[in-house]
Formats: sequence, structure tokens, C-alpha cells
Amino acid sequence: MSVTVREAGPTRAGGARLPHARRLELSDRQLGVLFLLPFVAVSLVFVVYPALDSIRLAFYSKEPFRQAFTFVGLDNFRYILSDPVFWASARQAVLWTVASIVLQTVFGVALALLLNQAVRGINVFRGLLLFPYMVPTVVIALIWRWMFNPEFGIVNAGLRGTGLVRGNIYWFSDPAWAMVLTILLNVWKFTPFVVICVLARLQSIPQEIDEAAQVDGAGAWQRFLHITLPQLKAVLAVVVVFRTIWTFNKFEEIYLLTRGGPGTSTFNLAVYAFEQATANLKLGVAAATGVLMLVFLFASSVLYLRLVRQEEA
Amino acid sequence: MMAIGRATRRRLKAAVTYTTLAVITLVMCFPLLWAVLTSVRPNDEMLEVRMLPRHVTAAHYRALLGGRSMYFEASDAGYRPTTAPSQHFLAWFANSVVVSVTTTLLSVGVSTLAAYRLTRFRFAGQSVVPYFSLLGYMTPSIIYVFPLFLLIVGLGLADRLPSLVLGYIAITLPFCMWLMWAFLKSVPIEVEEAGLIDGATRFQVFRLIVLPLAVPGIVATAIFSFIVAWNDYLIARIFINSVTQLPLTVGVMHFFEGVHVDWGLMMAAAVLMTLPLAVLFMFVQRQLVVGFGAGAVKG
Repeated sequence: MSVTVREAGPTRAGGARLPHARRLELSDRQLGVLFLLPFVAVSLVFVVYPALDSIRLAFYSKEPFRQAFTFVGLDNFRYILSDPVFWASARQAVLWTVASIVLQTVFGVALALLLNQAVRGINVFRGLLLFPYMVPTVVIALIWRWMFNPEFGIVNAGLRGTGLVRGNIYWFSDPAWAMVLTILLNVWKFTPFVVICVLARLQSIPQEIDEAAQVDGAGAWQRFLHITLPQLKAVLAVVVVFRTIWTFNKFEEIYLLTRGGPGTSTFNLAVYAFEQATANLKLGVAAATGVLMLVFLFASSVLYLRLVRQEEA
Repeated sequence: MMAIGRATRRRLKAAVTYTTLAVITLVMCFPLLWAVLTSVRPNDEMLEVRMLPRHVTAAHYRALLGGRSMYFEASDAGYRPTTAPSQHFLAWFANSVVVSVTTTLLSVGVSTLAAYRLTRFRFAGQSVVPYFSLLGYMTPSIIYVFPLFLLIVGLGLADRLPSLVLGYIAITLPFCMWLMWAFLKSVPIEVEEAGLIDGATRFQVFRLIVLPLAVPGIVATAIFSFIVAWNDYLIARIFINSVTQLPLTVGVMHFFEGVHVDWGLMMAAAVLMTLPLAVLFMFVQRQLVVGFGAGAVKG
């Protein structure tokens, strides 16, 4: 890195420098470029380039065991759109996403309200209830597989103990139960994220209005509906968008727990793309699936934002 | 209706709150608790239906940390010990630590510098970069992973740890940038201006004034990238092939190979894998709420 000797450039403060401050140094402009350069370089090479390359790959086909890519036009998209597994994966992805988001938003808000109370020892509860967010998905998947093991799992043992269920539930061999488990895993892991966001907002809401309403005889539910909830609206709008996009894109939560099975009954589009690339060696089809995911996400974000704006108007 | 005193009512309310919290906490923490209990349960008790183990054993942890092979494989020469996944546990752990720490340092460093530049220097479209970054984080990682792998292969880094660092930076950098930008925006600029007037150089201002004020944001960003790197499965699964180069996440899934699934061993691995995050979490729990609140919500 070359450092040129020059007088310091004008600063934001207006260049009110003492003479003795003039010495070997970089100007603000040079320093600014240096600060930004690593970010721009890394982003271009490792984020922007792969994203663009993925769009290019969507129009190419790669023969297994050969390096060459051949241009195939829209063939990959045609292949996907005529593949029943793709449509099933898309439906399952929407179901998985919507169910996960609704549940974790409801639980998250309820839990945040509970954790916002000023009782002694609340920090211990906060810590314990936020921790699942940090637990690796692999770990949760391992634990889930053990807890829901049909023969030796604690869940089936517990259910048998209550007498509600006779025999074992085969959680991972039943498409409906497998879907329930993946949703459960997602809700368990990410409810704390909703709690973190809502709690941060709750702590900045002044208590006076709530107390005034309480004096006026408003019940807890009324106060929540008319005072607290309107103030949470903005946070929840952001949280729901973020979580929806992230959940829709998730791969590990499903793949590690059920491998998309039984059959393809818990596939979402990310798992579908992964299987196309690794099991079928169709890199182009995987890339095209990714492009369709982006289109879908973009379309639904626009739709959602329009709905939110309409409601505000 | 019976008149209830104010103090009694408040006490009753607290009791209800505590009970609700305790029940929810128990339910939410049960999976982790169950993993801990299973990890100290001897193998001959594994199939019994009971909450607490009758005996407590460290055998599973010893097997993982001592690198002992746990199961045997039939061959022509009779039974012989085979390379069990547990033998590589320590290597995997070390790989995960090295890769996650490197990723965190690079990601936080690069994004802090860039965020400072973007919040403190005026130029056309200065908010385009952060919002563009956020867009990057919204993109499914399944989109990046295969082209990124082709790039890694082109660079000759496939199947080596640096490839993981590059992959994780690609995933974390956009959101780190967003978090740091949102945080630095809220750090008042006046102190810096005073520093500049007093004759400090821009770099001194950055190092001595901005960095200390930015600590909560840096902590939140660092935690975020550490979690992403430590928890990733997809990228490592695609990028790494050799068993000794694997991080914990992909390595531990190898425990499902073979006919016999050793649940005690697996739960011990799960506990050890969660431990660094638990320690981290205890130190930074408050800052997490503050930092993420600033970045993820107010942005």
C-alpha cells in the first residue's frame, strides 16, 4: 500500500487544523476509499458474481462428469414447470412458511409481553427463552430425531403414558406428521427472534397510556388490542417480511430433519434445488429453481407491501 | 364478591406470571435438557422409559474427546475396529472454531470499515449500498452455493478450510454491513467533529472515538456472523469432501451412517456443539437485544 505525502484534505469539520497536525497521512477521501474497498471487492467477487452466475446457469445445462456447459435456452424452466415434484414442493413450501410464520408470530408476541413484565429474575427467563435461537439446526435436528424416534423416543413414550394414543406414531414415515415436525422445529428455533424484536420495541413504549387506560377500567385484552398492538404494527410488519423470506429460503431445517421425506412430502423449493443439483446432477435446473424462488419472493413482497400500504391509507 | 386487597392481588398476579413463565420455559428448554440427560445415560439404560438416568456416565463424552472408535465392522478377518465418526470429533471441533472465528473477524472488520465510510461521508446514493446489501441477505443461499462452489474450485480452494471462510463471508457480509450501518447511523457525529477540530486525524477519530461507541453494534454483528458460520451445514456439505476437513455440523451428521445409531454419543456431540454458543450467549445476552433491536427493527 503506498502512502503519499500530502497535506490533509478538507475535513467535514471545515479544515480547522493546527499546523503541527500536518504530517504524513492519508486524506479523508483516500481513507474513505480504503475503508470501502474490501467490502466492495469481496461483495463483487463472492456475492454479486455468484448471484449473477446463478442466473446465467439457469439457461445452461451441464452434463454429468463433463466440464462443459451448453446453452439450452428455457429448457430448464420447461423441465421444472412440467415436474409435478416441483409443484408439490412449491405448495409444501408455502404451507410450511405460512404455518411457521403465523405460529411463531403469535407465540413470539405473547412471550414478549410476558417477558416485558418487571418481575424479579425476569432476566433468567429471558436468557433461557431466547437461547433456542442460537442452537445449531443440526443439534435441534439430532434432538428431534431422538425425541420423536418411533420406538424409543420420549414423545411416544409420553403419549402412551397418557393413554391417549395406543401403539406408536411413526412421525417420520407419515407425510402429515413429518410436516408437523419440521414446522415445530422452525417455530421452536425462531420464536425467540420474534421475541427479541418485539421486546426491543415494547421496552421503548411509554407506560403512561397503558396505566391511564387501566385507571379508566380497560381490561388487559382491550389494552393489548387498542394500545399495545397498534404500536407493534411497524415492527411486526418488518419481522413478518424478514421471517417469511428467510423461512421460505430455508434448507437445513427440513433437510436435516426429514431429508425432504417421506418420499418428497416435506420438500420445499430449496430442498428441491439441492436434490436436483446433487442427486440428479442437474446444476442448471437447480439454478433455474433458485431464479423462480427469487421471482416468487419478489412478487409476494411487492404484494405484501401494497397490502400494508393500502391498510394504512 | 370477595374484596381482595391490593397487595394480595399484586402477589397473585406475580404468582400467575411466574407459573406461566416457568411452564413455558420448561417446555421450550425440554429438548436441550433431554439432550443433556441422554448424553450422560449409560447405553444399557438407553431404551428404558424414564426421565432421569439411574447411573450417570461420561463414556459418551470420553469417546468423543478421546477419539475412540465406538463400533466394529465385519470383514473377512473377523471383526476389526473401523474408523468411526467419533474419532474425528476433536478435529471437526477445531475446524469449526478456526473457521467461525476467522469468518467473524473478517466479516465484522470489513463491514465496520465500510459502514463507517457510508455513514460519515456524503456521496450520491450513499444509502443504496446498505439496502442493496439487505437484498443480498434476502437471496436464498441455495442460489449462491453452487456458483460459489464453481468459483472455489476455480481458485483451487475446494475441500480446504479457507473455502468455508469465503463461503460464510458471502453469506454473512451483507447482513453484517446492514447491522453496522444501522448502528453507526445512530452514533452521534458531534463528538467526532470535535475530535477533528482538536486536530485528531480521521483514523484516530475512528479508532479512539467511533470504535468504542460502536461496541454494542460490533458485538451483535460478531454474534450474528459467528452463529451463521458455526451453524452452517449447506455450504460445508457442498464445499468439503475429506473427512478431516469437515466442520462439526456436517461431521456429526455422519453419526447416522452405519447400521447402529448411538444416541448417547450423538447427544453428547449435540451438547458439546452447543456449549460454545451457550457460553457466548451468557456474556452478551443484553447486548443482543439492544444491538439486534437497532439493526433489525429500526432500519
